[in-house]
Amino acid sequence: MNAPNQIPYRILVTKVGLDGHDRGSRIVAAYLRDAGMEVIYTPPWQSLDAVVRLAGDEDVDLVGISSLSTDHLIIPDLMSRLTAADLTHVRVVVGGIVPDEEYPLLLESGVSAILGPGTDRGTIVEQISGFAAAARHERDTEFI
Amino acid sequence: MDVLESKPRSLIRALKAGDRRAIGRAITLAETDQARITGLCQEIGPHTGHAQIIGITGPPGSGKSTLIDGLISTLRRLSHTVAVVAVDPSSPISGGAILGDRLRMHSHNADDGVFIRSLSTRGHLGGLTPAVHSIIDILEFAGFGRIILETVGTGQSEIEIAEIAQTIVVLCAPGMGDHVQTLKAGVLEIADILVVNKADLAGADLTVQQLKAMLALRPPVHGQVPVLQTTATTVSGLDELVDAIVYHGVKDGGDSTRRRRERTRRLLASRAGALLQERLLRHGDGNLDAICDTLERGERSLEDSARDVLKLKYT
Amino acid sequence: MRRRTNPASTDLYDQAHAQWEKEYDQNIHSKVPVQNRSGIPIQPLYGPTRDSAENYLEALGFPGQVPYTRGIYTTMHRGKTWSQRQLIGQGTPDEYNKRVLQLIDAGTTAISLIPCNSVYRGNDCDDVPLPLLGTCGTVINTADHMDSALKGVDIGSISTAMNDPSPFTLLSFVLNTADRRSISWQHISGTSNQSDFLSHFVANHMFFRLSLEGARRILVDHIAFCRQRIPHWNPLSVVGQHMQQAGATPAQAMGFTLSSALQYGRDCLEHGMDPDDFLPRFTFFFDISMSLFEEVAKFRAGRRIWANLTQNELGAKTAHARRFKFHGQTSGADLTRQQPLNNITRVSTQAIAGILGGLQSLHTDAYDEVSNVPNEHPARIAVATQNILREEAGLCDVIDPLGGSWYVEDLTDQMEKKILNVMAVVENEGGMFKAVESGLVQRIIGESALNWQSRVDSGEQKIIGVNCYRTPPAEDQQTVTPTVRPAAEKMRAQVEQLRRFKNERSQADVKRTLAELSRAANSKNDNVFSKVVEATAAGVTHGEVVGCLRQELGFGHPLIVD
Repeated sequence: MNAPNQIPYRILVTKVGLDGHDRGSRIVAAYLRDAGMEVIYTPPWQSLDAVVRLAGDEDVDLVGISSLSTDHLIIPDLMSRLTAADLTHVRVVVGGIVPDEEYPLLLESGVSAILGPGTDRGTIVEQISGFAAAARHERDTEFI
Repeated sequence: MDVLESKPRSLIRALKAGDRRAIGRAITLAETDQARITGLCQEIGPHTGHAQIIGITGPPGSGKSTLIDGLISTLRRLSHTVAVVAVDPSSPISGGAILGDRLRMHSHNADDGVFIRSLSTRGHLGGLTPAVHSIIDILEFAGFGRIILETVGTGQSEIEIAEIAQTIVVLCAPGMGDHVQTLKAGVLEIADILVVNKADLAGADLTVQQLKAMLALRPPVHGQVPVLQTTATTVSGLDELVDAIVYHGVKDGGDSTRRRRERTRRLLASRAGALLQERLLRHGDGNLDAICDTLERGERSLEDSARDVLKLKYT
Repeated sequence: MRRRTNPASTDLYDQAHAQWEKEYDQNIHSKVPVQNRSGIPIQPLYGPTRDSAENYLEALGFPGQVPYTRGIYTTMHRGKTWSQRQLIGQGTPDEYNKRVLQLIDAGTTAISLIPCNSVYRGNDCDDVPLPLLGTCGTVINTADHMDSALKGVDIGSISTAMNDPSPFTLLSFVLNTADRRSISWQHISGTSNQSDFLSHFVANHMFFRLSLEGARRILVDHIAFCRQRIPHWNPLSVVGQHMQQAGATPAQAMGFTLSSALQYGRDCLEHGMDPDDFLPRFTFFFDISMSLFEEVAKFRAGRRIWANLTQNELGAKTAHARRFKFHGQTSGADLTRQQPLNNITRVSTQAIAGILGGLQSLHTDAYDEVSNVPNEHPARIAVATQNILREEAGLCDVIDPLGGSWYVEDLTDQMEKKILNVMAVVENEGGMFKAVESGLVQRIIGESALNWQSRVDSGEQKIIGVNCYRTPPAEDQQTVTPTVRPAAEKMRAQVEQLRRFKNERSQADVKRTLAELSRAANSKNDNVFSKVVEATAAGVTHGEVVGCLRQELGFGHPLIVD
């Protein structure tokens, strides 16, 4: 949660791959807004390059990806593209359905956390705030 | 950009080279770090003031997002570089916001000639954000010749847009009942171009007639206001709209020094006014208290008291 | 408690009632009012209505008679049980073929086909990142693929349901396959599932391919074509599932679905079709939630409303044209990742609700569906669930067994009111097409979704394992079997094979039929679907058909509303 007078965290909430269900991402976007954050919310089916561009142009602290179905399988590719674009400070959190045994695939590629079905609102906001704060701390040394 | 340059890099140089990370970062600084951005803006100031700033406003349901997307595509086809600044109101309760969800239906993300940024008003009441002037300069400096300012079109945002943008495009759609009748008088006053979108729907012609009739009642202060029809979903009418926008920019900008001076003066007045207000509302100023005393006792009029305030010296 | 006068022994009744009320008030612990998902207050007790006897024929009727409240067939499940139609689809056409032959061997007479997500998005497999292919459905891009998928399957006698949104390329491939096997289209039966583009625009964006106007045009062409050429095919399945899963209350889901059906009916009428001819081929598809009695009432009310609507709004004259036929699927939205085996109980409850609600066919989810496409063991349990309910629980013995229950009759009436309210809001907006175009429907659903979520967040709505009766994650059951993914080499081979196919087919035929398709899309008098069938026969791929129509009629962008 942003402290009063603190600059709001900027969070990109998006979907990659093929699935289009957005009930969950809409609710999370509302949670984050109500916690004082700025949410850049996109339609589904964003290409990986689009996500990288959005993350940079909108200068976000964190990218939240809602993944049902199997779309999480292309997230490791996204992580390497973010690195190549010099956006390593940007944290990535995945929400939705990921089979247990595919957690390491994501976490090892650099995803900060996976928030599965049934995660409560307080945890979602707390985790995302924490990661966004860390991202912010890292990025401010890039330009003079 | 020099890839071998080590960090931290010079922000100005990166901006000049059109580096997108730099643009993204500079815009954030404009919103958050007054001190740092003032210096930057002073440096880039002399190089700006020539971009065409296009304000686009219209009610929900007028098809604005599709239209802007079509505009971007058309402008790009004609080799213009385009930036879009989309402003949404922040929640008065939490201070947070959901931004830009109406954009990005169509993808310009592979196009380096397009830059889109979503902003929140962050509590500012005017519908835009105080940082918008610096942000426009930053975008221009980074190479974008047409800058679209877009808001949800509620509250005071039209007025603020009118103060900043040179070319105001007002959008409406047919079949919105009596919306045309209820179009706020203020909005009609500031429009440079009126657009009836969703022109494929029944009632479009009628809406055009109604708008022309309302315009006829206006004194022609800034010349003829074209009323155009578009169907953004099929890209119909967009070429004509772009022509009208560019033409307005040229016509208006033929007087570009005057316009630039006007914008500078408004900016200065707004900033100086804000500083003065800040100063005046601070407590413990003996001079100010004295003026308040005589005003309260009815010994000086409000008008005279205000002039007295201006005579005080503030550093 | 509702007060109604019972003509017989009124005084005694009133006394007993007063007594009960007094004692109830004295002994009840919680005075918090109870509400179901649709917002209807639930009383502790329901009594007979005074004029129930006189109203019986009008409000309920006998099974198989208008208004069909108690069931659309005379014998219902006692005569012929609901069909068991489990969704299947994974990997390559050959893998699908293996699975479907197994099912047919085990006695199935009705099959379904779920295509890959890439197919839903309108892509061919050579256009999609490899890891995403075939994970949730079968990759079918050409008539050849369909032919392989249905090798050894007698499509002249087996009913095929396919998830096949506009422009219905999968059906097109099936027709091409029938031609190759010299099977007359008169013998082809099944359903174009997911033909309801309005529900996709609102709540299942993955299925939404073409612009609203484009999809509208093609659906009408499709229905007209099927009515003329494939008499045993159901060209339309109006879907309530997506909206309910997106958060609509059951009453809203039914209301919006009936409004969509009304819209489609009107579009067909405008096209000059005969309601007594096309209405019998309109089918419905619903989500079944855990709210058992509410779901039963929802379906009973739905039948009654549709019977009236078809006559009053669409001019249906025959009884046949006023029947509400539906398939139900247990709701995945109610399942939990925590303590996954509990989902077996949930699915079972939902299935009972659907059966007692009088469905015609049923799909039961597997308990691991919260995490992946069902693995074999959980899938078997899902099938067994239906078998147990059918054979062991005696649920088929009585038609509409909950009919006459004071609660269920009252609830049916109340659900009917709620549903009609929703439909009135839509009608006020100008009909379902306008209501989704403006975002009104989406906003209503979004509000319900938020409302539900805040009740879960606060603990007011309890979900076992999630906000109460929890198990620490380390001790919780894991999703039992490891996730099976299609073999990468198989998918790569499929992609290669498609590329070769594209090179080796007759480019002239492809060009010609695609040009025809474009022309038809731009002309008001042609039947676009008939051109799709011609094109796919000539070797045009799924992606090419969708690409062409997106070009001519517009890409389907979902509407994002606050």
